[in-house]
Amino acid sequence: MKNYLKNYKIQTPQIIISFFLIALICLAFILDMDLVVLLNESLIKLVMNGILVLSLIPMINAGAGMNFGLPVGIIGGLIGLCLAVNFRITGLFGFVMSLLFSLVICLFLGWIYGLILNKVKGREEIAGTFIGFSFIPLMNYFWTLVPFQNREMLYPIGGQGLRPKISLENYFSNVLDDMWLLQVGSLEIPVGLFAFYGLVCIFIYLFFQTKVGRATIAVGENEAFSKLSGLDISRIRLIAIIISTVIAGFGICVYSQSYGFIQLYDEPLSMAFPAISAVLIGGSTGKKAYIFEAVLGTYLLQTMYLLTIPIANEILIPELTEILRTFITYGIILYALLIKDRRGNKQ
Amino acid sequence: MKNILEIKKLSKSYSGNPALTNINLAIKEGEIHGIVGANGSGKSTLMNILFGSPVIQETGGYEGEIFFQGKKINIKSCSEAIRMGIGMVHQEFALIPDMTAGENIKLGRERTYKFTDRLFGRRYSFINKKQDYEDAAKILRKLNMNLDVSIKIMNLSTNIKQFIELAREIGRQDLKLLLLDEPTAVLNKKDGLELINILQEMARGGLSIIFISHRLEEVQQICDRVTVFRDGKLVSQYQKGKFSINNLAGDMIGHLVSKAAAEKREIKGRPIISLKRFHVKMPGEEIKDMDLTVFKGEILGLTSLSGHGKLALGYGFMGLYPVEGEVFYENQKLTKMEAKTNIIKGIYVLPDDRQGLGLLLEHTIEENIIFPGNQIKNMFSRSFGLKILDFIDRKKSLSHVQNLIHDFQIKCTSPKQKVKELSGGNQQKVCIARALTLKPKLLFATEPTRGVDIAAKEKILNMLIEINRTQNTTIIIASSELDELKRICDRIAVMVEGKVFKILSPDSSDLEFGLALSGEEGT
Amino acid sequence: MRIKDGTDGGIINRVNRFVDSEHLVPAVFLVLSFFAWQFSGFSGAFVFNQVLTRFIRDGVLVLSLIIPVVAGMGLNFAITVGAMAIQTALLLVINFQVEGATGILSVIFLGVLLSVALGFAIGHVLNRVKGKEMITTIIIGFLFNSIYQLIFLVGFGTFIPVFNQEIILSRGIGVRNTVDLGMYRNTIDKLWLLKIGAWEFPIFMILVVLFFAAGIYYLLNTRFGHEVKAIGSNNEKAEVSGINVNLIRIKVIILSTVLAAFGQLFYLQNIGMFDVYTAHLNADVISCAALLAGGASIKSAKIRHGILGIFLFHTLFIVSPQAGQNLFNNAALGEYFRSFVAYGTIAFALIINIKNENK
Repeated sequence: MKNYLKNYKIQTPQIIISFFLIALICLAFILDMDLVVLLNESLIKLVMNGILVLSLIPMINAGAGMNFGLPVGIIGGLIGLCLAVNFRITGLFGFVMSLLFSLVICLFLGWIYGLILNKVKGREEIAGTFIGFSFIPLMNYFWTLVPFQNREMLYPIGGQGLRPKISLENYFSNVLDDMWLLQVGSLEIPVGLFAFYGLVCIFIYLFFQTKVGRATIAVGENEAFSKLSGLDISRIRLIAIIISTVIAGFGICVYSQSYGFIQLYDEPLSMAFPAISAVLIGGSTGKKAYIFEAVLGTYLLQTMYLLTIPIANEILIPELTEILRTFITYGIILYALLIKDRRGNKQ
Repeated sequence: MKNILEIKKLSKSYSGNPALTNINLAIKEGEIHGIVGANGSGKSTLMNILFGSPVIQETGGYEGEIFFQGKKINIKSCSEAIRMGIGMVHQEFALIPDMTAGENIKLGRERTYKFTDRLFGRRYSFINKKQDYEDAAKILRKLNMNLDVSIKIMNLSTNIKQFIELAREIGRQDLKLLLLDEPTAVLNKKDGLELINILQEMARGGLSIIFISHRLEEVQQICDRVTVFRDGKLVSQYQKGKFSINNLAGDMIGHLVSKAAAEKREIKGRPIISLKRFHVKMPGEEIKDMDLTVFKGEILGLTSLSGHGKLALGYGFMGLYPVEGEVFYENQKLTKMEAKTNIIKGIYVLPDDRQGLGLLLEHTIEENIIFPGNQIKNMFSRSFGLKILDFIDRKKSLSHVQNLIHDFQIKCTSPKQKVKELSGGNQQKVCIARALTLKPKLLFATEPTRGVDIAAKEKILNMLIEINRTQNTTIIIASSELDELKRICDRIAVMVEGKVFKILSPDSSDLEFGLALSGEEGT
Repeated sequence: MRIKDGTDGGIINRVNRFVDSEHLVPAVFLVLSFFAWQFSGFSGAFVFNQVLTRFIRDGVLVLSLIIPVVAGMGLNFAITVGAMAIQTALLLVINFQVEGATGILSVIFLGVLLSVALGFAIGHVLNRVKGKEMITTIIIGFLFNSIYQLIFLVGFGTFIPVFNQEIILSRGIGVRNTVDLGMYRNTIDKLWLLKIGAWEFPIFMILVVLFFAAGIYYLLNTRFGHEVKAIGSNNEKAEVSGINVNLIRIKVIILSTVLAAFGQLFYLQNIGMFDVYTAHLNADVISCAALLAGGASIKSAKIRHGILGIFLFHTLFIVSPQAGQNLFNNAALGEYFRSFVAYGTIAFALIINIKNENK
């Protein structure tokens, strides 16, 4: 890590985003917005989206590319959440149980997803995109037909099928956000939330220190070398993809408890793209990613979104936020696809 | 007779390494001009320049002048060369696999309907497929071939592809100079002879041909003149009938001044490995039907012209390419050709493509040296029970790596330096250090001194000898550097077309090597 | 001389060959459509008329995908850019209130001009990402969508002067969600309408689509077309055969974008209502799925795949919501089935094709 920070180079996208961010902060200041409130919110937004972004790291480092199939892991997490709510488990225990449920489901989904991705080596990104896209309507059947009993989750009329938006208010909304709040002046630091985020970061860090983790990085950097060194490439990729999927499941659990709702049906459809753009803004090339890049990128991107909402409302074009958001998201992904692989990893 | 092509003071280097130096060469109209040379002699570079291969421009162009039909030219792309009337038959075939034989032969010169010609111009005019196929069939008949031209190229065998590639070139009305890169390599003797007859007939019709071949007999038979290249320089030129195969073979190799670096010895132990009818399907370097026995404790050299299979042997053992045949290693039959299994059994390969296969460029020296030892043999591990979750014992690994850096004089700032920042020689030392960490019984070293400066070369050769003498490691060195092989090997096997052609002693004469490399029995 | 591989038996081999072949996907669609039609209870004539409408509505869009596939660039998801180009032209012309034939002609002229320029840019981008064209075209499509929204939702009324108040949101900035194409609606759809009982054949438009199909067939059989096939088969070998690979690839994308623009024009005039921000959104996925349903792959596509695919895919598309309603008493399930079929077909084709390529 120390070594890495020394070599860290700031690149064009970060410069642009940082300038944009500074401009927005100035604008917010001029428009007389409460910056402390915004800062508070930005901390929550960081973790809320941050774990989804972290989930991309194992796959990128294994050479399986940016995980455009993120919806697979997200859906695993959503099932875990729904199970916890269905059994009416509340509070922190409910949240922990939803993590456990999604762990089991994501292990299974990640295993299948990994087996498929191993068959499309080198083109995981396009295949993953459509695996994710087609998994969503398939799961819509599940949401509609699953025999859950908790009426708070079901459509009020007819009583069959889950609602698109399930409130977590009576269960575990904001349990992490409100855990161990530390008051510093008017600034509230959600220590519990950060502790969880830190835990995931440490887990990923430790994973890359283990034998299989180091093998993962080697496979991602040079597959031919790894094969010549006797590594089982498919197995190592499979492990990395499963870990990515599991973390993505955790990511949506944290996201939902912050947001206060479980969002089902077509909601995960476009969640992969902002997450990917975040890690790219952090400085990753899409071929290798570090924890630091994921954290920095998420914070820059989310803070920027946060600032644009009130400003766009102020100038009476509320759609502007969403348009800018998509523009930046896709622009940065295209940029990452365009810059040539500088690591000389020829195929 | 007039010269169709004149090359004056041509030089070309790839990032500082000279590939051609100061070449002066003239090709006459209607002449078949042979070019022979060993690996790295510059033949392919010359062809690439003449045919405008993109690689030349990408690496900074060339120096000197080329005159074609009296006019100075500077060819920048293949399409430009084609427009001038230069054609090339590639060794690896430039045929489009998904198109039919007929379409390939007529590609770029298709017959079109007059009406749509007038309407949209030739390029966007409708193709008269039937006429095209008739034309193609007619050209093929000229080559004594009767073939259904509607068959796709990918469904055809290699020797037919060779004729189709030739047909495509001779089908051109404007062809003036034809470059042939090893056209007979994939043909059997009979088809080869047939091709030669056709070429001679074409030359009588006024076409100039540059003919590259390793089959010296053929060269002697058909070429009006022969030029020999060695190490990027033109060393000799002969008129037809005024030279023997021995002349060519001798010139190709040159006179080697080599001092044995290792003292001579007679190896007669038990075999460590024996191959029976061994095949490795490495594209472009295929091994076919190889029989070879290597004795325990010896250093065996393996040499051949490029494309004749010397590189493939080690990779076959590591499971990179499919293999066939029987292998006995330490009296046991090897059933599974897979890297992990064979590394555990004590076999390891130093790859020739260091950047692509040999190193993790973004990783540190330390990580590169201990990688397979740690991953496969759990060396330097700090375990908490589950093997795949082992951490590295940094203290143990660091002291091991520091010893190696010291012993091998690897120039670096620290063991934590990234490998990509090292020079080629030091990178190779890292590779050898890695191999040594595994303590192999059998080591394949593939082109160990390629891209390495002279001082490092000596060091690397000494390292290999030392490993052999002190640890009794059997080493098989595949290399095209004959003088190096002669200095350190106990025996040298010469491969031709994927088989062991001859096993020579390092004391054998240069001529013997030259002949063996060309697959000539000699007298 | 070995000419062709012998065909050896073995059931697994034969099944495998069928799975890989271009027959499996159309066969599955045929069976699915048939059963869905049975459960939907629609009359044959109704389904046929509907499918024929889809044929003239989506036909050219599907056809616009063929040339990039032949050139080895995979499915061109950036045809949405062509669609947005013609929509931009349409909105500009409506804004300047050019009517009648002049209006239509200026839409076509502007749209083609824009598509050529955009196709040129996309072609350049794709030349830098060889081997990753498909994911790049998806992202390009999305990116242009946000630029398009930026222009019409934010730009209109702020940077671009408004001449036609009817198409502007009440706040004075941005174009409305829907613009009525009143005068353009169905102008050519009903031309030469042939009725046989309940079956309707809009002969003129069928001919138009077939004309485009013939044009593509013609183009693929010129010297240019052979060059396209050559680069689709192998870039390096095409290069040493004297073909300027990068230039041909740019031309291919320009062609595809222009064809997509025409396709979207036919689509809009057939629908008659212009959903400014959503009309182009699924053009890529639906067209790609239709092409693949006809038996094309990401490596090879022929005109007949496109035409057969439209019929098969849209039959299923039309009948599945009603079939869902009748079978499960829930029309939403039919909707989900539709999206699953569209995305799933592409996912399946990608996995099978890339897997075979990697072998």
